[in-house]
Amino acid sequence: MRDTTAPAAAVAADRRRQGSLRAVHVIALLVVIAFCIFPFYWMVATSLKEQAVALASPPVWLFEPTLENYTTALGKSGVARSLLNSLVIAVSTTVLALVLGTPAAFAIARFEFPGKKELWFWFITNRMVSPIVLALPFFLLARTLGILDTHLALVLTYITFNLPIVVWICSDHFRSLPKDLDEAARLEGASAWRIFFSICLPLAAPGIAVSAIFSFIFSWNELLYALVLTRNEAKTAPVAATGFMSGYELPWGQIMATGTLIVLPVIIFALIASRQLVRGLTMGAVK
Amino acid sequence: MAYRKELGVAFAALATALLAGGGASAWTLEEAAKPYAGTEINVVFLDRPGYRAAIKMLPDFEKKTGIKVKYDIVPYENSRERQVLDFTAKGDLDIALVDLVWMGEFAESGWIVPMDTFLKDPKLADPNFDKPDLFPLLLEAFGSWNGVAYGVPFDNYSGLLFYNRCMLDKAGFKEPPKTWTELKDVFGPKLTSGDQQAFALQSRRGETQSADSFMRVLWPFGGSLLDDKFRSNLMSQESQAGLQFRQDLMKYMPQGIVDYDHAEAVNALAQGKVAMITEWSAFYGTLVDPASSKIIDCLEVAPEPAGPAGRKPALGGFSLAVTSQASDKEKAAAWLFIQWVTAKENAKTYVENGGVSGRQSVYKDPQIAAKYKFVKPMVESWQAGVPHFRPRFPEWPEISEVIGEWGTKIMLGTASLQEGSKEIGQRMESVLERAGYYKPGAKLLQ
Amino acid sequence: MYSRREKRLALLGFLGPAVLTLLAIGIYPLLFAFWNSLHRFILPRVPREGTPWVGIDNYVAVLTDPSFQQSLGRTFSFLLTVLPIQIVLGLGIALLLHQPGASLLRVLTRLSLVVPMATTYAVVGLIGRLLFNGDFGVVNWFLGLFGIAGVNWLAHPTFAFAAVAAMDVWQWSPFCALVFLAGLTMVPVEVEEAAQLETTRWTAILRHVQLPFLIPGLTAILILRTADILKMFDSVFTMTRGGPGAATELISVYIQRIGFRVFDQGMASAQAVIILVLTIILSRLYIRVIYREIEQ
Repeated sequence: MRDTTAPAAAVAADRRRQGSLRAVHVIALLVVIAFCIFPFYWMVATSLKEQAVALASPPVWLFEPTLENYTTALGKSGVARSLLNSLVIAVSTTVLALVLGTPAAFAIARFEFPGKKELWFWFITNRMVSPIVLALPFFLLARTLGILDTHLALVLTYITFNLPIVVWICSDHFRSLPKDLDEAARLEGASAWRIFFSICLPLAAPGIAVSAIFSFIFSWNELLYALVLTRNEAKTAPVAATGFMSGYELPWGQIMATGTLIVLPVIIFALIASRQLVRGLTMGAVK
Repeated sequence: MAYRKELGVAFAALATALLAGGGASAWTLEEAAKPYAGTEINVVFLDRPGYRAAIKMLPDFEKKTGIKVKYDIVPYENSRERQVLDFTAKGDLDIALVDLVWMGEFAESGWIVPMDTFLKDPKLADPNFDKPDLFPLLLEAFGSWNGVAYGVPFDNYSGLLFYNRCMLDKAGFKEPPKTWTELKDVFGPKLTSGDQQAFALQSRRGETQSADSFMRVLWPFGGSLLDDKFRSNLMSQESQAGLQFRQDLMKYMPQGIVDYDHAEAVNALAQGKVAMITEWSAFYGTLVDPASSKIIDCLEVAPEPAGPAGRKPALGGFSLAVTSQASDKEKAAAWLFIQWVTAKENAKTYVENGGVSGRQSVYKDPQIAAKYKFVKPMVESWQAGVPHFRPRFPEWPEISEVIGEWGTKIMLGTASLQEGSKEIGQRMESVLERAGYYKPGAKLLQ
Repeated sequence: MYSRREKRLALLGFLGPAVLTLLAIGIYPLLFAFWNSLHRFILPRVPREGTPWVGIDNYVAVLTDPSFQQSLGRTFSFLLTVLPIQIVLGLGIALLLHQPGASLLRVLTRLSLVVPMATTYAVVGLIGRLLFNGDFGVVNWFLGLFGIAGVNWLAHPTFAFAAVAAMDVWQWSPFCALVFLAGLTMVPVEVEEAAQLETTRWTAILRHVQLPFLIPGLTAILILRTADILKMFDSVFTMTRGGPGAATELISVYIQRIGFRVFDQGMASAQAVIILVLTIILSRLYIRVIYREIEQ
């Protein structure tokens, strides 16, 4: 497309400029990766160090890695189980939030009705409440219902802040799908539910994937409610990780080992869904 | 033959007599626990050596009694919250883990049962329980409120001076400092140079600031938090002298001392960065563990230095008490466990597993004293002390927060000593006012 | 397109379950908290004192409490510190990722963006404590490479605030980047190419072509981050516990102190209700101001 009559020197200069631009691009990307990964790397490295090495000054870069922290952490009652609990809770919450949230999002995107904006905002508001003061009501409620220390108690609690996210992200996605699709299907006699299930839902996959990832991450990492609502049976991984904080010692290695174990599943989950990650986060960029 | 037969009869008679006569005193745990086999009791534990030691002993107890002990390990920060929520909602905790500063709250709220209820029950009380064998100071401070004993001291701590003998040797000191003033004026300058400091006093915001740092300098200098009318005593000459001492001592402490928690202070000593720390006895284990310490051969332990008002070492610890909300069956099972885990006969096992027992007898065992350097100074520290080193009334957690905030401000110099002490005093008095301590006839217990 | 009856049925079916669930689970605790805020409700004292009605006393006490005002002010300075940095960094990263070329590296970058977001908040605070430690922290070591003397980050009011902010920037800039990147990918390719023929200044393209597609994401970021910072607790608590002094005592740390240390649930609920109202007002403001901008 460029002007082919340009002198050779200019072309060369242009090429050099392009080359250095590309170098800048590559370097900048590397810096971003380093920025994101470094604290994580430090966590993993610390999880492989003995306490004295972890706290040595100046910081130690090369060391003999030990898996002892992992064996101690996993050997402690409950860490392995807490990871399983977290998995069950995060997956159930995510599934439930999607099952409840996607139809609601579809309705908000596709139907006009009075108070729609207010309803949407009410959904979002549920995410804004500080868990610190809701913990006690939730605790008393769970106790009355006899569901304290069960997965169900946490799943229900987590729904309150994950459903808003699902509704928000997915309604944006449904809105971005061309309305002609619906209308064409209507002409062929499809019901609203059919349109939702067989046409719009598959097309909104990126939005659903993203809201699933966020819902999973938020439930997976939640600590305050989990501390109040669980004991032994339903204890989640973040509770187990902070359980090492006895108030006196800080076994850095074990905490970081547990921290690493907690992050890994999310990263794997995110890797699987990473292609959708970007396409899904438009937050209503389509008008 | 007849002779033999006679002897046999005599033996049989003797045996019967012994069995019958001893029936009342031949109390065994197995026998006592029979009605409670299969009972499940719940308790909150921390991830600390004393609890790990008890967990190691659990299978033995469960095998003997058929009682199942379910423990839930929580972060220290959440342990009070967890229990208070459980008690107010009539939950399922059968044993309360009582930090000495929660004693007033738990007892006043009627959440825990006095131990005499069980000690008077011949079916439950182990005749060998030997209450006087418990250190009186610990039973008073960790287990009792208003003269009534509730909890049995379980996880016990005393403040001790841990020091690096090699560094002291090098600076020409044969003995650790005997007084705080000596520590500052004689040891301070000689042990501080370049990267190395003489002393570290963990002072991070939180219970560390209030209990380990702030209160630690009040008592030895004759100061205190409250006077006998429960008004602030922080402006008294003695209190101010103690707090001023801490400001002066900071010269010989690492720069970032207001961010030092226990872990940082212990690590500073373990890495050879500071020469002395005053820390809880429980850290002995960390300091002699090659995975975390570089100074194992140089480590020595002594009682905390004394001040003008004498030696007033920091005191901390937890007791176990039976909760009121438990059913009668659970109460009995819970008591049997508490009694067993703190028993004289099990104290040695508990100590060898890493716990610190509150039994005087176990430390008379020469083997124990020889094996653990902290035993001698700790026993010495527990001979006398201030049971209310930190006030144990229900308002302490709130006051502790105030001290945590303003105590670090004083150390940083963002508030002057006078200003900060006044601020703490005012806020503390308004907390106590609200709690009704200044009404005529109010009982002043701490 | 739908008949009235069909529409009504569909709305009921689509919205009903979500609305009912939120009502059932969400409303009760909220009402309970609101009820608490109108009563004297000090948990350990409830057995002895009950929960007497105090009207708006708790609200009056909260609004005149200097500590509350200070920590609220501190929270807003925190918000004003981290949010611009996160938006600028996020936008920069998004533009880098939107730029063609180096495709493998771009995929890797996109993946690495997930890592900070996925790290448990309480663990983030602990990592921060390791990185910013004055003695053995790696941040001081890095500064040392450039001949800058280390700082006792967490023991100094201003630096501690900066360190907590830095960890928040680390954790949430990637989120902003992903949101902006999603916005950028929505720009129709033809429009962008046409613009590139007209001007080579990327700022001009950003302003006139890409910005409209970024605005919704920006609004979302503002709403979510504001709400999250007003709720932010785990990481600050594990990193500094609000100290030294009160340098990093954000509003949630203060509410937790009242609600779970003092156990004054009445007062804490009043604080939380005030914060909730504040969040709602701010969110409405964001939506109104920013959306109006693009409609002009």
